[in-house]
Amino acid sequence: MASDKFRQQLREEVEQWRSQGLISAEQSQQLAERYEFAKLDGVARDRFIVVVLGIGSILLGLGVITFVAANWQAVPRELKLLLLLLLFVGVNVTGFYFWNQPPLPDRQESGRQRLGQGLLLLGALILGANLALSGQLFHISGSSADLCIIWGLAVLGMAYGLRLTSLGALAILLVGIGYWIGVSGSDWNNPPSDTVRWVMHQMPMIAGLLFIPLAYWCRSKWVFGLGAIASLSALLVLLSRFAETFPSSFNFYGIWLVLIFTLPTAILWSYDDRLWQRLFSRFASESPLASEPQLNAETQYFRSIAQGLALLYLMVVIYGLSFHYVWEDNPVLAPRTDQAGGLMTVGWQFLLNPSLLFFVGLMVVQWIYLARPRRSRRWGLRQNDGIMLVFLGAIAILTFWHWTIAPISAIATFLSNALLFLLAVALMRDGLAEGQRRSFWSGLTLVALQILSRLLEYETALLLKSLVFVLCGIGVIVIGLWFERYVRTLRIASED
Amino acid sequence: MRNSLSLRFWIVLTLQVVLILAVPAQAVYTQMNGRSLVLQTAPVDPYSLFQGYSVTLGYDISNSQNLLNLPGWKDIEAKRKPERQLSADDASSKLYVILQAPADAGSRPPKPWKAVAVASSRPHNLPANQIALQGSDRQGRIHYGLETYFIPEDQRDDINQQISQTHNQGQGQSSKPAFVVEAKVGADGNAVPIAIWLRDKRYQF
Repeated sequence: MASDKFRQQLREEVEQWRSQGLISAEQSQQLAERYEFAKLDGVARDRFIVVVLGIGSILLGLGVITFVAANWQAVPRELKLLLLLLLFVGVNVTGFYFWNQPPLPDRQESGRQRLGQGLLLLGALILGANLALSGQLFHISGSSADLCIIWGLAVLGMAYGLRLTSLGALAILLVGIGYWIGVSGSDWNNPPSDTVRWVMHQMPMIAGLLFIPLAYWCRSKWVFGLGAIASLSALLVLLSRFAETFPSSFNFYGIWLVLIFTLPTAILWSYDDRLWQRLFSRFASESPLASEPQLNAETQYFRSIAQGLALLYLMVVIYGLSFHYVWEDNPVLAPRTDQAGGLMTVGWQFLLNPSLLFFVGLMVVQWIYLARPRRSRRWGLRQNDGIMLVFLGAIAILTFWHWTIAPISAIATFLSNALLFLLAVALMRDGLAEGQRRSFWSGLTLVALQILSRLLEYETALLLKSLVFVLCGIGVIVIGLWFERYVRTLRIASED
Repeated sequence: MRNSLSLRFWIVLTLQVVLILAVPAQAVYTQMNGRSLVLQTAPVDPYSLFQGYSVTLGYDISNSQNLLNLPGWKDIEAKRKPERQLSADDASSKLYVILQAPADAGSRPPKPWKAVAVASSRPHNLPANQIALQGSDRQGRIHYGLETYFIPEDQRDDINQQISQTHNQGQGQSSKPAFVVEAKVGADGNAVPIAIWLRDKRYQF
């Protein structure tokens, strides 16, 4: 149905056409019936009524809220809890009712659905308020980490039930906030309970198992990205805790650092949806994945995000390692036999952490899956994957050597700068080859960042600094413009 | 499809309501079926005294130094040693403090109960005037779940003033400040705070 404004204008126009003789009376009658001109006046009146009702109910609601707030102290405890629960249930049910409306062939339909979604989000927030207040009413000393994580898991349940992306993102955020509060120890006054502490310890795996399937269920890239970030940052926290817990003279400190630097990138780069789909189709024959055949066309649904995140992390790591003060840290290293002995006796219970094993195992499986023989080719990696493997291997060797075998500050700094430059060049080359703006610009930014950081890091004359800045600025402008023109010609050439 | 969506919504909503009700469930049960107990408070770090609407309470049995001389402490120490080596810094260990009722139970403000022993597992067959209270030892401070009490906003300043007055008085004299907390303890040792006594006035919220 056309918009009201259009119909109004059309009605006036039809009048004019008829008076000017452009169309006959019969045709104008047909138009009037088709576009339902008679109903236009009724529509305006209906809308007025709706607005009046809306304002009236808002005022009524405000009145109720104010009344409750005025008498809040006098209300007995159980009644307070009941009122809160009623509010929570009411908001959720209203939100669901609006959101679940069958789609009408009307413009108002999307507005109502959006209202429903907004109300459901509000309901999720009220859930948190309810949890906090019901604890407060009964003087339960709870920790904020507890509250956030339990709240987040409850919202996650609703996100699974309704397949809503916004609720899923909210759930991940809440669990993330709770996790960071718990990990940072800022709530030393009210530390988290034992159950929540166990959940936090196993967070990488729990996050991975809860959030990634939600991303598939909702078909949402945001949920996937947030879930991957949550799960892997929890893994990093776990790894850095291991690195700290070991007495520093007994550890294979280098191993933990190698894992911290390379594991997230390795897992994300080799992520392959097909691997999980095969798993899914064996388990759930009625899941939305199996029932939609067109998914074959988008089987690599989340692979691009995973690879983007992998590259981002790799850039950050190599950039961080290119600073020389990172390599200045010369630890007092115990002899290697002592280190190995320490790891074997004391470290086993840490190495057997299920999250760690799961992710290392996942990485190995995914890389093998990448290298599997395709069609008639032998075992081997594609070129991009091979380059990534070389990068990761180089970082791993450098880190391990410096921190476990012998410190090699100067060589390591030089090599990591070389790696940074190579990465930037690889990104630019990729961008050129496919005409993709993002790779090219990130590569260029990386080179510029590298030059500028080196300049600012080492003591150089101001004149040299200004010269380099000017050259960089000119270089970026020139190369950027040239690239844009190149991309345009590439596109024109491909369209011919 | 639409029906299953509704069904899923209602199921999840019900579970969430159950979750909200589960938070105070144990406290309510303890309050209804527990035995009454009075504890002597100890001054707490004044900076964290009032966080929002709540008072942070500390007790003389919260400090593990005060429990060192009680019978049963050596057993707890002995059991604790092997865990301490490599566990994460935030491990906590459970213990039970056995408190005995004072001689005259009817005074206002009520006299606090005294700790007479500690145990690492829940003691059974206690005499009628003794209760076991469960606590978790976190690096020298023992938490009993009684550390927070919520005060409504309009009375917060008044009570805050009274608390700091009693603490200041207590520091000058040798007798303990007259600030005790009334709690209810269930059969499993879990406790919930009921009311606070400032000198001889009882506040229950």
